[in-house]
Amino acid sequence: MQEFIKIEIPNFVLLLPELIVLLTGFFIFTLDILLKRVSHLIAISVSSAGYIASIIVLLLIYGHRGETLYGLYVRDGLSTIFQIFMVFLTLILLSVFYPYFKTRSSLYPEFYYILSFSLAGAMFLVSSYNLVVLYVAIEAVSIGFYILTALLRGSFESKEGALKYLILGGLSIALASYGAGFMYLHSGSLDLRHIFLYGQSDALIIGLLFFMVGFAIKLGAVPFHFWLPDAYQGAPTPITAFMASVGKIAFFAPILRMIPLVQGDILREWILAVSTVSGLTMIYGNLIALNQKDVKRLLAYSSIANTGYVLAGISTASMIGFKASSFFLLAYAIMSFMSFAIIALLERFKDFKTEIETLLGLRNISPAYASFLALSLISLLGVPPTVGFVAKALIFLSLAESRLWYLAIVMIVATGISAGYYLKLISKMFMFEPRFSSNVKPSMSESLTLSLLGLLVVLLGILPILLFGPVSQSVEAIFSR
Amino acid sequence: MLSSLLILCAVGAILCLILKESLVKWWALSVSLLLTLLVFAGLFWFDFSKAESFQLIESYSIIKELGVSLRLGVDGFSYLMLILTVLTSTASILWSLGDYQVSKRQREYYFWLLMTELGLIGVFSSLDLIVFYVFYELTLVPMFFVIGIWGYSNKVYSATKFFIYIFVSSLFLLLGISALAISHLSQKGYYSFSYQELMSLRLEPGFELFVFLLFLIAFAVKTPLVPFHTWLPDAHGDAPTAGSVLLAAVLLKMGTYALLRFNVVLFPQITTAFVPIMVLWGILSITLSAWFTISQTNIKRFVAYSSISHMGFVVSAMFMLNSVGIKASITEMFAHGLTSAGFFMMAGFIYSRLSTFDLSMSKGSAIKMPVFAILVGMIAFSSMGLPGGSSFWGKFLTILSASQYTTNLAILVLIASFFSAVYVLYLVKNLYLDSKKEADLKDITGPLLYGMALMSIPTILVGLLPSLFFVFYDSYSKYVISYLFKLAGGG
Repeated sequence: MQEFIKIEIPNFVLLLPELIVLLTGFFIFTLDILLKRVSHLIAISVSSAGYIASIIVLLLIYGHRGETLYGLYVRDGLSTIFQIFMVFLTLILLSVFYPYFKTRSSLYPEFYYILSFSLAGAMFLVSSYNLVVLYVAIEAVSIGFYILTALLRGSFESKEGALKYLILGGLSIALASYGAGFMYLHSGSLDLRHIFLYGQSDALIIGLLFFMVGFAIKLGAVPFHFWLPDAYQGAPTPITAFMASVGKIAFFAPILRMIPLVQGDILREWILAVSTVSGLTMIYGNLIALNQKDVKRLLAYSSIANTGYVLAGISTASMIGFKASSFFLLAYAIMSFMSFAIIALLERFKDFKTEIETLLGLRNISPAYASFLALSLISLLGVPPTVGFVAKALIFLSLAESRLWYLAIVMIVATGISAGYYLKLISKMFMFEPRFSSNVKPSMSESLTLSLLGLLVVLLGILPILLFGPVSQSVEAIFSR
Repeated sequence: MLSSLLILCAVGAILCLILKESLVKWWALSVSLLLTLLVFAGLFWFDFSKAESFQLIESYSIIKELGVSLRLGVDGFSYLMLILTVLTSTASILWSLGDYQVSKRQREYYFWLLMTELGLIGVFSSLDLIVFYVFYELTLVPMFFVIGIWGYSNKVYSATKFFIYIFVSSLFLLLGISALAISHLSQKGYYSFSYQELMSLRLEPGFELFVFLLFLIAFAVKTPLVPFHTWLPDAHGDAPTAGSVLLAAVLLKMGTYALLRFNVVLFPQITTAFVPIMVLWGILSITLSAWFTISQTNIKRFVAYSSISHMGFVVSAMFMLNSVGIKASITEMFAHGLTSAGFFMMAGFIYSRLSTFDLSMSKGSAIKMPVFAILVGMIAFSSMGLPGGSSFWGKFLTILSASQYTTNLAILVLIASFFSAVYVLYLVKNLYLDSKKEADLKDITGPLLYGMALMSIPTILVGLLPSLFFVFYDSYSKYVISYLFKLAGGG
């Protein structure tokens, strides 16, 4: 048995990155109230400063491992890497956000602190094993998402998406907490690491089932995906980028952390259930994406499909599967962020709607946007030398190691289907003449942002060790514990 | 030396995007010429007495934990393919200088051509299966853009079809490669994608069959063998001339190269068991596509189908599994590279003069253009297998190798090669002997002439001095056979 209450002083060094982000949020919140309306310049600079500070701290404490708050909070390599990616992408989001909302006259300062709170919740979500902390963190992330989705003034779709997301989000958290109750019943513990120590029981199976279904709704895995396309399409595009990258990382993290724990009796059920959902998700997402007329909706379905690929790695419940799906998740975050961000930037120009047809001949209108969008799509498709290829190859490797041949074949078929719509977008941009001529040029900061992301996509494709090395190390550390 | 080729090609390609539009083509040409020069200069370091073993080896670790590294190296066989690659790339860039079809968006165009060359050099010089796969796929995106942007008529459809066919089939290859690495893990205790290390694997027959089939799907589509060929006529038919040249001359060779290098060598048990199937499949492919060829009215599709027919020779000769057969197969690969490139240039040239690919419209057009007629004649008779032409050795050795089995098989091959002669004769008759009132046509000149000559003159060289080329792979073909029978005899 564990020792009972022992007064512990929280190790604030481990918590510092989250605290900085949280305080950034509170600071802007206070400023907003004190100054009546905080100006965007101040809000952006305060947020950027906070995020940059957080990234610096994260890099400095990269080697630190440990637990604090009585084991409620765990800092390990994986959480640090995930957090670096999340804060980095949110930082970049700021440069996309402002021009987008300015053209739609929906600039609210609330955005900045809600974003920070949501990010802080996401950061807690990737670094805990405790069911209650997970619950609170999920709510913190999700409530931010609901508000951010509804942020577009006068847009019906935005409200509709937010409402759907809210209702299904509520359902998901209810299911997950119900499942958590069963898991507590099984083991008498709220710590995931302890729950699986007590063999197998019906309570555990039922609990795990509900818990996973709750997360499956959040992740948009088939058949729990119905809210996702509406929310992704209705939300302001920068927020979609945020949800599809930071949100995905955050909601996947607890499931990833369960991989080393489900070994033993429960493994067979895990593989069966997760691989079934994974196969369904990738086939369904890609099939429906083929027929979409709206780029955002298409990318939303592609996001569903990519959830399926990550789940394929998770279904193996092996070490290489853990590494592969973590790598895939991070790669997907970059790629999807990049594609949504470019759509967001394009939407500023009045000739561009989000319909696919407006992308016609984009290469002639704006070579930079077209090339970067094509790069992100090629990477999403998984063609070398991009990071998307490395990610997919790792998933294949893990499937081969677990001898899940049928899932691998399903994944080949799904990827083949996905080629249809990614290529459609690329050929629309590059192989047709534009219908109108407008002057669309990325500003200095935008091209810097996009080049940075593009460079990441290619660099991590050529030298994957830069990301795979740290991921692999921290996963091994988790396994050896 | 091999890595410097890759770096030069990559840097050259990227600079294409930055340079001035009018200078780009000269830059691309000089990069390509420099690569050719380097490849030929590399022959001085290449030891022909050990042509069957890998030389000029370099290795840089990419992911140590998974055993992935950039292993480069060439043996005689891959060196020959490398020579074919740089020759064809140079010829196609030369041709593009004078091709009106590709006169727009030149920066991108030459960028993609050099990227294709990069992929091809990588494919023929990598000794790591994942790296091979990366370069194999790397040729896909450039070709997609080249066909889709600068192609003819139904270009976007053809480009997409090409991409999806090859992409999906090669995903099976990726799974197969992963399966091999995993069995290396379970047998030796660590992941490896190294070709030489994977050669030492001994798989159980069921699993070996599974992985063999995964590899075969990829390469049967790429080669292509009937009935997996349907992407080819579209892609080759709609690509701009330089694209078709690269596709037919080198990209198809990736399929047969990999068949020999991976399928035959890595899976000896299954290969020996599959001999009858593969040989007959090859012959079927020759015959069927020869029939398809004759019924075409579009010159480019005509040439495209003839390529399938030739690749059938390569496959059936390869799977006869004797050293003559392997030799025939490699000779035919090289020979077909030259002749198909020449044929596509012929088609492109006819289009540039008559603005049509219609075979019936081009009747007698060669008569007006003597230089063109001579070049086409050289290519056509080489392709047909006339002594003195390049394909003669390919076909002759195939028949010779078939006769080592039974005379009946040799007769079957003979019949198949008869069909493949029919369509060439039909083409020649159409261009030379039929006559039609036609305005004067300007003969081939300038870069078009140089490009076409670069492809057609070596055909005669192969035909007359085959020993010049046999040095590259004579010992390799013997080595493969002795290796296979050592293993098959043991097991």
